[in-house]
Amino acid sequence: MDIFGSFALLLAFLAAVYAFVAGIVGIVTRRVLLTKSARNAGMATFGLITLAVATLEYFFFTDNFSLAYVAAHSNRALPLYYKFSSLWAGQEGSLLWWSWLLSIYVFLALFLNRRRHPELMPYVGVTLAGVQIFFLTLNNFVASPFHVMAAADSAGVMHVARLSEGTGLNPLLQYPEMVIHPPMLYLGYTGFTIPFAFAMAALLGRYPGEKWIHITRRWTMVAWCFQGIGVLLGAHWAYAVLGWGGYWAWDPVENAALLPWITGTAFLHSVMMQEKRGMMKVWNVWLVFVTFMLCILGTSLTRTGIVSSVHAFAESNIGGYFFGFLALVLVVCLAAWYKNRDYLRSDNQLDSLVSRESSFLFNNLILLAACFAVLWGTLFPVISEWATGSKISVGPPFFNKVNVPIALFLLLLTGVGPLLAWRKTSVDALKRNFAWPLVGGLLAGAVAFALGWREFYPLVCLILSAFVTLTIVAEFYRGARVISARDGSNILTAVGELTMRNTRRYGGYIVHFAMVMIFIGITGSAFNRDIQKEMNIGDKLTIGPYTILCQNFDQPSTDNYESNRATLEVFRNGHSEMMLYPERRLFRTSQVTETIVAIESTVVHDLYVVYAGRTPDTNVPVIHAYLNPLVKWIWFGGIVLVLGTILAMIPDRRAALVLRAATDRPWADAAAASAVTAPLRHSSSDD
Amino acid sequence: MTEPRIVAGRIFGGRESRCGISRSTRQRRHPLNFSAVRAALIVAFVCSVLIPSSRADNTDRAKSLSKKVMCMCGGCNDTAGTCNHTGGAFSGPCDTAKAMQKEVDDRVNRGDSDDLILQSFVQEYGPTVLPDPPKKGFTWLVWIAPVALPVFALFLIWEVVRRWRRKQELAPAGGPPISADLLDRARREVDRNDE
Repeated sequence: MDIFGSFALLLAFLAAVYAFVAGIVGIVTRRVLLTKSARNAGMATFGLITLAVATLEYFFFTDNFSLAYVAAHSNRALPLYYKFSSLWAGQEGSLLWWSWLLSIYVFLALFLNRRRHPELMPYVGVTLAGVQIFFLTLNNFVASPFHVMAAADSAGVMHVARLSEGTGLNPLLQYPEMVIHPPMLYLGYTGFTIPFAFAMAALLGRYPGEKWIHITRRWTMVAWCFQGIGVLLGAHWAYAVLGWGGYWAWDPVENAALLPWITGTAFLHSVMMQEKRGMMKVWNVWLVFVTFMLCILGTSLTRTGIVSSVHAFAESNIGGYFFGFLALVLVVCLAAWYKNRDYLRSDNQLDSLVSRESSFLFNNLILLAACFAVLWGTLFPVISEWATGSKISVGPPFFNKVNVPIALFLLLLTGVGPLLAWRKTSVDALKRNFAWPLVGGLLAGAVAFALGWREFYPLVCLILSAFVTLTIVAEFYRGARVISARDGSNILTAVGELTMRNTRRYGGYIVHFAMVMIFIGITGSAFNRDIQKEMNIGDKLTIGPYTILCQNFDQPSTDNYESNRATLEVFRNGHSEMMLYPERRLFRTSQVTETIVAIESTVVHDLYVVYAGRTPDTNVPVIHAYLNPLVKWIWFGGIVLVLGTILAMIPDRRAALVLRAATDRPWADAAAASAVTAPLRHSSSDD
Repeated sequence: MTEPRIVAGRIFGGRESRCGISRSTRQRRHPLNFSAVRAALIVAFVCSVLIPSSRADNTDRAKSLSKKVMCMCGGCNDTAGTCNHTGGAFSGPCDTAKAMQKEVDDRVNRGDSDDLILQSFVQEYGPTVLPDPPKKGFTWLVWIAPVALPVFALFLIWEVVRRWRRKQELAPAGGPPISADLLDRARREVDRNDE
């Protein structure tokens, strides 16, 4: 059975090689059949890698520990859903998972465009196949998940050894979010390959116009959204499982996941400059290239052990392959750009520094500054050791000091940018658009100050959050008022109509509001409180408005783990409010413990209680309670971010109506319809 | 906290009234015992106010300082004050972090300054013990670069925009002359579209 998986992987590798070579030959010789054949081979990789993934999952579900990978990451008592997620728990499986998700994207990109963009798609296919070859090389020849366990008998003959029990899944990964978080993050990482392939294809094929930008934007939004969900789920997992009361520790691997998301954000903004004004073409191409390279860098940081991280897989020799591939990608990008740099000449130039264009420029500058600061801080220990021989640490205080002002400036631009007009903004328009939001922001700040907020950054963040929220509300209101006055509809219906007419613009505003919510949530961390106490039954501790009474300690157990659990009654203003059951689980096979935090989450604050175990000296249970304000806003913000992104991806109602009208005409064929729609959509999107 | 400080003011700073009793009366009543009373009051004040207060301050200081040194266990990549090692029988600070926290406590209670305490950790473990890289020598770069690079980029953008605008000013306007009315109408329409 393992041979079946290995063989499917090998065939996938050969199919990718064929797609790459035949694609190039097809482009050079202009043989359509060959390019079609290459495209089909590219799509076939999806089926073949799916077979390999299904084979590995079969081994997990049947507790077949003859595979070294399965024996190292599963055990019989593991619940079924964790057996499924064990697939990506280790180096080899996660690389296979990466290849599989990439192959889904490849299949979709090639299949959905099989009758479109005939000049562009062969280049896209070749680029995608090139990336696939790299990962399938790793899957087949460097880190195969299909290695069998073997033992020699007395005659020295090797036999397949099937262990009766596996080591088990890392307990930290035995949490429902760990079934979702890695796939989301990987869908982000791998998804950025598609924009990369389209950008490279447009550059190499000198594809006329800005069409590639339209195609790329939507794929980028998909990847960006998944990456965002992945990062937030990771933060939530760290919050709910690691038991340290926080959600972001500036760990190198967390940082690595954030980097492509930041450059992706920059691209999603600067792409509008190219669509509207034909500017920033070089910049956009390089943003896509850099985003892809940061994805590769991100995954290599996890896998090579060059920076110490709690997330890292076991150190291995795989780093050389990743850095070699990264260097190759950089060389190819540089060569493609240098050869075709005249193709990227701007059509227009900046007219004024007080304009939408300049706000996008600043937005990109600030985003890249944030990206650089995070990357620089992450890699500096390695650079320092290499340059001076002495290792230094770059910890959370550095990242906070550098990134908090950058993030606040970005928040300011989130409010200012959308209100500036293209080309040039008059002073009157500035006054009209900014007066009330500014007053509202300052008022919010004054109220917070009166309530005792004295810390500088939280106060600034609150003022800016109020300012940005009001600018967004004002934007919706202004547009809806016009529709309402014209149609006689009520304002809420008008808001819906307005949003559906320009989903991209108003979806974008919702995403901005989501970011405001996330910023408010992060601001709450400035007011975190915690208390740790040894508690026997009947003891109490008080934190904020809560009093926690320790009622019991017990040891519930399952086949998979033994548990130590505290039963705590929580009082508020003298009234019993709830029961909390924080736990510590000791997993039988791995003998590793995991914290199960009890969290009572409200919009105002989280009561976060950890059963920290028993003190080694006195054997008394220790309860660590935190009161973390506003954390829920971060997770709500994540949901709003996803909704806003989905909305921004839905076609405008106006464009859909035009498309339908065009296709209804007897003389109109699909090509004509798309030709009519494209410029119309282009002119209608007033982002 | 406030109450004892008022008492202290009466003892040391009260000019006209010390515990509401004039000096002469007091001297008359307890000529020999006044200094003993004062000493007792001072001791009581120190015990009841200063010591608990300084203990609380020391605890806060120690807590804050322990977040300024990395846990050197090599596994958590966290500060000694926030290390919450998962795994093992006890979650929370690992033995290394606990030892470091204790050392901070001891030194704070001994009266060492923050700098001295941090310096002693640097001597023991090297600069890697500081989560904030020192702002000197090569490690200055880690602080300077995130500021210098955006500033440089901003300068570049400014320069590029300036050149573009200069080029635009020099470029001759093509086409027939446009009347002021038409130009005004066009501007209004552009403004309206932008909204």
